[in-house]
Amino acid sequence: MDEKFDCIIVGGGIAGLSAAMTLARADARFLLIERGEWSGAKNVSGGVLWGHDLARLVPQYWEEEDAGWDRFVNHRRLTFMDDGASFSLDFKSDHFNTPPYSGVTVLRSRFDAWLAGKVQEAIDASAVADESLLATDILVREVIKEDGKVVGIRAGDDAFYADCVILAEGVNNLLTRQVGLQTDYVPAEGLAVGVKEVIRFDQNVLEDRFQLHGRSGMTNEFVGYASGGVEGGGFLYTNTDSVSIGLVLGMADLRGSGLKPYDLLNQFKTHPAVADTIRGGEVLEYSAKVVSTGDMRVMPREVYADGVLVAGEAANLVLNAGRAIQGMDYAMRSGILAAETVLEAKGAGNFSAAFLQHYRAALENSYVMQDLRGFQQAVQVLHNPAMFTAVPRMVCDFGREFFTVDNQPTRKAYQILRDVRREHMSYWDLVKLGSRAARAL
Amino acid sequence: MPEDVKTLSIAERLGKVAYRNQGRAEAKPHILVDTAICNSVCPHKCTTYVCPANCYTLDEMNQVHFQFEDCIECGTCMYACDQSAVAWSYPDPEVGRGVNWNLG
Repeated sequence: MDEKFDCIIVGGGIAGLSAAMTLARADARFLLIERGEWSGAKNVSGGVLWGHDLARLVPQYWEEEDAGWDRFVNHRRLTFMDDGASFSLDFKSDHFNTPPYSGVTVLRSRFDAWLAGKVQEAIDASAVADESLLATDILVREVIKEDGKVVGIRAGDDAFYADCVILAEGVNNLLTRQVGLQTDYVPAEGLAVGVKEVIRFDQNVLEDRFQLHGRSGMTNEFVGYASGGVEGGGFLYTNTDSVSIGLVLGMADLRGSGLKPYDLLNQFKTHPAVADTIRGGEVLEYSAKVVSTGDMRVMPREVYADGVLVAGEAANLVLNAGRAIQGMDYAMRSGILAAETVLEAKGAGNFSAAFLQHYRAALENSYVMQDLRGFQQAVQVLHNPAMFTAVPRMVCDFGREFFTVDNQPTRKAYQILRDVRREHMSYWDLVKLGSRAARAL
Repeated sequence: MPEDVKTLSIAERLGKVAYRNQGRAEAKPHILVDTAICNSVCPHKCTTYVCPANCYTLDEMNQVHFQFEDCIECGTCMYACDQSAVAWSYPDPEVGRGVNWNLG
């Protein structure tokens, strides 16, 4: 095959498919290559997709019969845990009940496959329906460069050429390294290991247990005992008839701990606060994946070069600032912005790095880089060992005493607070952490 | 431990993973591990506990062994190894195994 595409996209996950949708709508000729047997076959996420970009890609997505997503989020919970107790902040609001929802839970093998179907519909409706292609089950081995410029890719014995390549290959970004945008050795400090189970329930049981109504759903993040003293935390998200439950564990901290992620997952599952929500469920799938933590120091040194752009988690566009774990929304937005830059470049007939840096500027002007930059301090606060050791214990100690009624003279809340603080942290450490957190958030 | 909460062994967990080309006898490893490094200079042998699929194991002589068949392509060993013992790549659908997530 020697014809040349406007663009080749490597990776049929959310970033790649969002780019593809944008190109298809603009009648650009592109080839998307996915190494999985189908889009989503290789993809794992927590998984909540936040924000409204999905409605931008697939208008009225919520009216679809089988829309690939599971539940919309209108109930959020943050739980602090020690070994025997849990203390939660719980927020539920009807405000989140109306489409386009502010967050939907997804299972990637289904969601990505559905989104790929939507992209195929867009290709079929485009003016160049026969010249754009979603190709699955093909591994891209190499990026082809000529005179320092990326001009195509090699898969098996075949070479494919394009004016521009979008790398949307995910967190294990081997091709991004190959083109020199990321160093081969990425420090473990900015990365985490995610492990997850999907546990199935009778749908009525699930809806009763989590107080769900119709397609409403809840997210629950956990800090403290959840991760067994290892930096990180736990999550539980409701799907249609299952929950996604797992841990995200700091890579460097896990390496120093000698602990196994799947043992920690068992420990998490048997904590009373968690066990009571998942009892009787059937484990359908166990999965794992590296996740970047939002530390910008592990980002590629740049997200563009001559003839190439990097989108989604390949550019480590993920953020956990303690409010929500975001990444799929960044993947979607960065994929759209990358494709829009390709379209601009096509119009200008210029695919040089000097032109493609428009992508960087667009990313910087979007909420993606503004959040990543704005919440770097929050990422650092979450790395503070006190956040997953002393603080959750302190909160649970406070709760234990505050909610105990035992026919003894009852102490006032501020007295309890003072004493539990003394037990777990120096006043100075707490003030430092508190003020850092206040500024960071 | 609550009786009706299922904690699973790693073997039971991997039993729920769908692998590609599982029936095929000859598959080529996509990750190459220089276990000579693990077994000489490495101070922690961390892959034997951080790998979520237990692909790295220790024998009774405390020597590291690697087998790729259970690999779920998460990438953990590539980032966790700081001794340059792990050469990581994706499995080729034509020759390797790798994973097919049904849910993901």
